[in-house]
Amino acid sequence: MRPDAGTPMIELDNVSKSFGDAVAVDGISLNVPAGSLCVLVGTSGCGKSTTLRMINRLIEHTGGEIRIDGHQIRRFNEVTLRRRIGYAIQNTGLFPHWTVARNIGVVPRLLKWDKARTRERVESLMALLGLDVEAFAGKYPHQLSGGQAQRVGVARALAADPDILLMDEPFGALDPITRSSLQAELLRIQSRIRKTIVFVTHDMDEALRLADQIVVMQAGRIIQQGTPSEILAHPSDDFVETLVGGRDRGLKRASLTPVGEMMESLPDDGRVPAVHVLQTDSMRLAVSLMLWHGVSQLAVVDDTGETVGMLPLRRLVDDFGE
Amino acid sequence: MVLALGGLAVLALWGLDAVRIQPNRIVSGTGHGLIEALGTGPALLVMLPLALVMALAWRPTRGREALMLMLVTAMLAAMPWALSLFIGQFIDDPGGAARAAVSGASWLVGFALILMLIDLRQRLQPGALVTLVLIAVSLGSLGVAFGRGALDSLALVQEYEVRRAAFAEAIVNHLILVGVAVGASLVLALGLALWMRRVAGVRQGVLGVLSFIQTIPSLALFGLLLAPLAWLASRFPLLSDLGIQGIGWAPALLALVGYSLLPMTRNTFIALDGVDPDVIEAARGMGLAPLQVFFQVRLPLALPLLIEGIRITTVQAIGLAAVAALIGAGGLGTFIFQGLGQAAMNLVMLGALPIVLMAMLVDALLKALADAARRGDADDRTG
Ligand SMILES: Nc1ncnc2c1ncn2[C@@H]1O[C@H](COP(=O)(O)OP(=O)(O)OP(=O)(O)O)[C@@H](O)[C@H]1O
Ligand SMILES: [Mg+2]
Repeated sequence: MRPDAGTPMIELDNVSKSFGDAVAVDGISLNVPAGSLCVLVGTSGCGKSTTLRMINRLIEHTGGEIRIDGHQIRRFNEVTLRRRIGYAIQNTGLFPHWTVARNIGVVPRLLKWDKARTRERVESLMALLGLDVEAFAGKYPHQLSGGQAQRVGVARALAADPDILLMDEPFGALDPITRSSLQAELLRIQSRIRKTIVFVTHDMDEALRLADQIVVMQAGRIIQQGTPSEILAHPSDDFVETLVGGRDRGLKRASLTPVGEMMESLPDDGRVPAVHVLQTDSMRLAVSLMLWHGVSQLAVVDDTGETVGMLPLRRLVDDFGE
Repeated sequence: MVLALGGLAVLALWGLDAVRIQPNRIVSGTGHGLIEALGTGPALLVMLPLALVMALAWRPTRGREALMLMLVTAMLAAMPWALSLFIGQFIDDPGGAARAAVSGASWLVGFALILMLIDLRQRLQPGALVTLVLIAVSLGSLGVAFGRGALDSLALVQEYEVRRAAFAEAIVNHLILVGVAVGASLVLALGLALWMRRVAGVRQGVLGVLSFIQTIPSLALFGLLLAPLAWLASRFPLLSDLGIQGIGWAPALLALVGYSLLPMTRNTFIALDGVDPDVIEAARGMGLAPLQVFFQVRLPLALPLLIEGIRITTVQAIGLAAVAALIGAGGLGTFIFQGLGQAAMNLVMLGALPIVLMAMLVDALLKALADAARRGDADDRTG
């Protein structure tokens, strides 16, 4: 009974949170359509985690209204609500006294699934996240690497097949390479399971790579929201501009654009450039190849190796820039 | 370690008296050393196994350590018999008034052997079965020697023989006193720790009061409780029917609980409070209800430290309960104070030795339990 794509799964309506006199979140409004990935981004202390944790009522909002699937969250019993929402955090929060399998199976067990069903689910999730069942099911969290622990954390969040997934800097503590491969994996998984995800990070590159919708926060308020290319193209103020990398923006944008969108058809004389690039590679990679090989045009191939077009340097200057 | 202990044992045998022969219970008697009694040659022969262990300890390998472990166990098992033989040199009729008190050299050798055993066991890490066999062999030999009457000339045994019933009662009393005090303080400490976690402000206050109680000397605390309890008992006959009086078990128990509260509460609080907040946050986020968070996550993760607190408290209470004998609470302390009053040091020993043993046993047991808790519940692998 998943709602159609486009209808808001999570709605925040003028939501505020104050801790005593201190206002952590100040009247934010936000819609997250079902099946989309929304990234909250901003500097430390701007209220990202607070916003996220108000959605599963780990923190109660003090003003405004939060709705899930059209219902006010205050109407739900908070424990029931949380069992329906997946939650993954930066330091994994895995239970150190339980095995990987038991960690992943915690919510199904709370929901009183029978043993066989729980085990089946745990094993299929481990497979989905690239964790070998034989090798890892009986391990304890302290026996895992940071990347493996984080995979377990994500598997645990997905265990009871929730419609909503909340992720608070889940890849924040990982090295750049592991982080990048987990990001790719999240995108791969998301393209299959289409959860409604709210993802917190302070890394704009991560946000640009993952998001359908980016929400930039500062001092408890939303200062801009939009798709990654909208944010890149029109940062609303100096702060957002700095966040998206200032004069580096050209390259950031290039890394978001697939070569296929910019390529031209092959010239009539049939001469194919010597260096080639994949249709699905980013424009950033194309530029890099041109710089490295000292050429001004590339052949574009699809994943079977068939040449489907070409990319001249001129395209970058003429049509890609503002 | 083994080398040093072996050296200590040899030196003790060389320079100190092994037993003290007393013509009767009160007279302190004359001491006899190994060399003086046996002559240098035979004395050196007795020290031979010790020398062998020390030689093996010089360049230890795993095989040599195993050999040392066996030698030490054998020596420990032989000790009661050797002692019995040695005493036989001086006392002809075991039933008479004359008796032998174990003195310096024998005590030191005994302790040195036990410490060596502990050290070697630590290093070799044998299975629980081997450990059990080691203990059974050394204790079993002592038991047989005792049962066969080989130790009847020992003053300690004679003191015991005339107080069999009282001894058993004292041990039971002591255990009950300690058990109830530790149990009650554990329950109170859990309550206090939870309160301290909930209301941040009470933390300093509670710990302050508890450490103040801790600074009152135990005798003074018993004294302080004497008057109010006696008054209560005289006001309410029902209470005195229950045995609550100025002296006896009631003030002893109260004082023991008072002393136990500080280590227990502090450890319980630190244990519960020290659980990784990320783990608690995740547990709540997964949808564990508050009680589930406590019993499935916080408590199991706090358990090793919590048991550590129980261990410290229990060992302390076993010692303190001895003092409680002064106000008529019974227990093993009774023998200590009787013995002191009659200048009968062997009677003091009859009270003190079981207390030391009890403390060591509880210490080892709870340490093992804490270790087991630290390893987590390895049995659940399926989810
Ligand atoms: N329980 C609390 N009590 C009081 N103040 C709090 C509490 N939790 C958060 N705050 C305050 O609210 C503000 C927002 O905190 P929040 O954790 O949401 O920031 P964040 O954007 O997630 O930062 P970071 O990137 O460092 O995680 C901060 O100023 C923080 O000090
Ligand atoms: Mg945060």
